[in-house]
Amino acid sequence: MSAAPVLELRGVHKGYRLGAHRIAALQGVDLAVQRGELLALTGPSGSGKSTLLNLAGLIDSADAGSVELDGRAVDGLGETGRALLRRDALGFVFQNFNLVPVMTVEQNVDYPLFLAGVPAPQRRERVRAELEAVGLAAHAKHRPDALSGGQRQRVAIARALVKRPRLVIADEPTASLDSATAEQVLALMRERGRAEGAAFVIATHDARLWERCDRIVALRDGRIQ
Amino acid sequence: MNGLRWLHFALQNTLRNRRRSLVTVAIAALGTAAILLAGGFALATYQALAQAAARSSGHLVIGTPDSFTSDEDVPLQHGLDDAAGLRRQLLDDPAVRHVLPRVEFSGLISNGDKSTVMMASGVDPDGEFGIKGPFLTLRAGSVLVSGTPHAEVMLGEGLARSLKAEPGASLTLLASTSGGALNALDVTVRGVFSTGVPDIDKRAVYTDLASAQKLLDSPRVSSLGVFLDRMEATGPAQQRLAAALPALTVQTWLDQAFFYRSVRDLYNRIFGALGLIIAAIVVFVVANAMAMAIIERTREIGTLRALGTLPAQLQRTLAMEGMLLGGAGALAGALLAGTVALALLVFPVQMPPPPGRSVGYPLLIALDPALIAATLAAMVLLATLASALVARKTVHLSIVDALAHT
Repeated sequence: MSAAPVLELRGVHKGYRLGAHRIAALQGVDLAVQRGELLALTGPSGSGKSTLLNLAGLIDSADAGSVELDGRAVDGLGETGRALLRRDALGFVFQNFNLVPVMTVEQNVDYPLFLAGVPAPQRRERVRAELEAVGLAAHAKHRPDALSGGQRQRVAIARALVKRPRLVIADEPTASLDSATAEQVLALMRERGRAEGAAFVIATHDARLWERCDRIVALRDGRIQ
Repeated sequence: MNGLRWLHFALQNTLRNRRRSLVTVAIAALGTAAILLAGGFALATYQALAQAAARSSGHLVIGTPDSFTSDEDVPLQHGLDDAAGLRRQLLDDPAVRHVLPRVEFSGLISNGDKSTVMMASGVDPDGEFGIKGPFLTLRAGSVLVSGTPHAEVMLGEGLARSLKAEPGASLTLLASTSGGALNALDVTVRGVFSTGVPDIDKRAVYTDLASAQKLLDSPRVSSLGVFLDRMEATGPAQQRLAAALPALTVQTWLDQAFFYRSVRDLYNRIFGALGLIIAAIVVFVVANAMAMAIIERTREIGTLRALGTLPAQLQRTLAMEGMLLGGAGALAGALLAGTVALALLVFPVQMPPPPGRSVGYPLLIALDPALIAATLAAMVLLATLASALVARKTVHLSIVDALAHT
């Protein structure tokens, strides 16, 4: 296993224009996430958590500073290069699950593998194993709207991990869940992340989650405290 | 296989909002059916007019070059000599079924009390009326036959009414001979016919060829009408016969069919404009349906892009949705048009007479494979392009903005 961080941000600045005003969302952020690490990103609303996740997830670009994924600078990549890197190396877990409603559970989990061009027999096997791992094998043919919130988030976790990403970006993954379900989802993320060797960067207000993470990074006014 | 997966995804998406998809498909179907029915009606009209024109003049008309380009000073000045020999030569061509000589002339026709202008044709009765078939309506009496001892005529309906002539009545034809003298011929009315065009029926007279030549005092004929085994043989036969008869001019029925060309020009413009309007409506309906579907799915599009889907892949699958909607509508429209066309054969509908005509005609829809294929392809292509165009902006939206869309 390489000692290089899976994600490294150096001197990252990001601002937004809001009418005549410019909002500094991130101001000189330095952050390194190690392979397999479970990192909790905390801070009040407007502290820059979502902006940092967007940059780490390669769905937005920094105004200044550098972002490296697996030692590779991503700042100069075009839209296609970023899309291919997201497809191959990153997983996403969203607060509202963001499953595709017309796809069945197994089709949702299969989608990243299909995008990556994995042959169908291997896809079937990996989807089956992933759904078993998150305890949803019996729901493979169901549509997301037939599942509970906790089950949907488990599908989202399976979708994020099935392609064995190096980094999973999770934005408030337990915010829409009740306490018991949130506990289960947290445990599952930790367990599956370790099993697949994926690092997690989780933006959360949920103090229960902090205890289960390897490290907590607090943001305030766009700076790491 | 990947293409099938995207197509399946597109199909799943079209079934999300079934009512909206159904309305879109229904409008595309109605548009397609309207284009096919209008186009099929125009084609059936063209085919009927082409048959009528070819049966009237012959698929080919052979005459001297001057007969097609300049007026005659005296009757049959530009006529053909040795029509019988020419006829035998033409009948040697494998595509030629009949060769009918005609003498076209004008003059006066009189019942003793009243004289009026006539436009007369001297024809070979046995061949002419066998070929004209349903395109000549007999109102009274019977058609001309060859070998009668006395000269006989058939009168147009309006002319017969004007002269108060019925079958059996005696009339006199007056015309200039080819030598310039005035000649007269007593004839008996054998039948009364209608061409369906009142203006023609007021002047038209048919007589047998021998009587016409006797009246004009000439053995010549004005032209030879050549009837082929099928319409499609017209072009090649024209080339063959023109090469074999370099001193003569060989025209096709199309060269002679002014009415056919006028109707075709008019219908092409009317139905062409109608088709464009309908196609534009279908494009707007599909584009509107897709725009609503895409706006509703902006966040999902953001998610799919975050997962690594390329904008081009998303645009392609959204275009496929348009293709499926347009394709389903086009197929349903073709089925509807086919059903209507068949129903019109089982339950005939009579159209009123067109302007300048005295008889109506059956409403028929031609189911032309080329028209159906072109309409279906156009509908699918337009729906696909409209969807791709509508999707273009959203699939290129910033992922952050798309995910934040509510």
